[in-house]
Amino acid sequence: MSQRDVLAELRTAHVAAPPQLRQRVRLIAVADDTSPRRLITWRRSVALLVPVAAAVAAAVVLTRPAVHHPQPLSVQHGEAAHANTAPAPKAFALPSTKARAQKYSATLSLRVPGQPQLSDAVKHALRITSSLGGYLSSTHVSTSSAQLVLKVPRTKVQVAITRLSALGTITSEQVAIQDQQSGINANSRTIQRLQRELKTATTKQQIATLTARIEQLQRANANTVRADRYATLRLNFTTPTPAAKHHSHGPLHGIGVAFKWIGIGSLYALAFGVPLVLLVLAARLLRKRRIDSMLSRF
Amino acid sequence: MTNFAQAAEDHLDDVYGYLAWFTGDREVAEDLAAETFERALRLWHRFDPDRGSARTWLCQLARTVALDHFRSEKRRLRREQLVAPLDRIDAQFADSFTPELEAALRRLTAGEREVVALRVLLDLDASTAARVLGISPTNCTTRLNRALHKLEEALHVAA
Repeated sequence: MSQRDVLAELRTAHVAAPPQLRQRVRLIAVADDTSPRRLITWRRSVALLVPVAAAVAAAVVLTRPAVHHPQPLSVQHGEAAHANTAPAPKAFALPSTKARAQKYSATLSLRVPGQPQLSDAVKHALRITSSLGGYLSSTHVSTSSAQLVLKVPRTKVQVAITRLSALGTITSEQVAIQDQQSGINANSRTIQRLQRELKTATTKQQIATLTARIEQLQRANANTVRADRYATLRLNFTTPTPAAKHHSHGPLHGIGVAFKWIGIGSLYALAFGVPLVLLVLAARLLRKRRIDSMLSRF
Repeated sequence: MTNFAQAAEDHLDDVYGYLAWFTGDREVAEDLAAETFERALRLWHRFDPDRGSARTWLCQLARTVALDHFRSEKRRLRREQLVAPLDRIDAQFADSFTPELEAALRRLTAGEREVVALRVLLDLDASTAARVLGISPTNCTTRLNRALHKLEEALHVAA
């Protein structure tokens, strides 16, 4: 018998369902009350809520604002602390005590509108310093900034700071006073003690040593008092830096951004999707093989 | 009469015949056919006529039910520690078949009988049968040819 004959004989077959089965199936069909099925089942709810919850969680994590740490308080006048439209702050100058030896130094940063004003401001600063009996210690001037180190009599430092601060807009100011009277007093006590020892000294060597030491201390005290007569004023002039030119985007910028994000999305989809697809395909293949193996046994 | 009832009436013979050949047991096929239509009633709202005919959809369901049956049989056999597969096919496939053809059909595996039932008994085309089996049409045709060749050989030996 050829394969064609086998096929022809197989085609003659007709398998009819037995009457009792037909009756069972009819009863099943009658039970079809066609009641509307619930659209919201617990499975559908879970299938919907889980991705939504995940998306919300991801959105919360990704859009959470960064934690801002409080800025430490600054004791100086800073540019950031003052808006450009705010009135220029007045310079403050700590009063110095004439009775005590003090090392007085101040740093004043001023902003001037432009280069011509910068030159004028430097000239004015030198004139003010001269008029108060001070002098220029060092200077560094460039096209956009100037740094001056001025020596001003300590008794007139408040006047100097007030007048110099009028040359521009104050951007920062620092004042430091270091008391040196205690060092002078200590030296004086040492000198007195050495002088007492000098009266009782017997040998020439002792006398010479004590005398040299006393003179050394007296010179140190004199130098300190002389240096403290002048306050050091560091004056920094700056001109405003030109604002960065705003770079306008072209008409295709939006498309570029869109492609960039599409690329990023595709990369993530590939990274996560390919292994997932491979896993699913492998599972399906394995399932088919198991079914084939099972069916070959029956 | 609802659509489901009409579909059940129209395709009961097909589903029963497919299951009878697939399982090789008419009594089991009766139970599985009833179970198939119970399941079909529950899932009838998922049936989409645009994606395929009701007969194909019912055959797919019947196959799922039959596979569940085979799995439970496999577990049962394992429990009973029967290493060799039982020759439990004693039912008649069709009244018109010769005893030689009946015997040859009994020698086929369930997978082979399944493809013969779909392609020959139900006269499904290759692509539809392949969809029911979850394989490619080429693979389906290969399986059918292999099964027919096996039948031919068995009939030749018997002759």
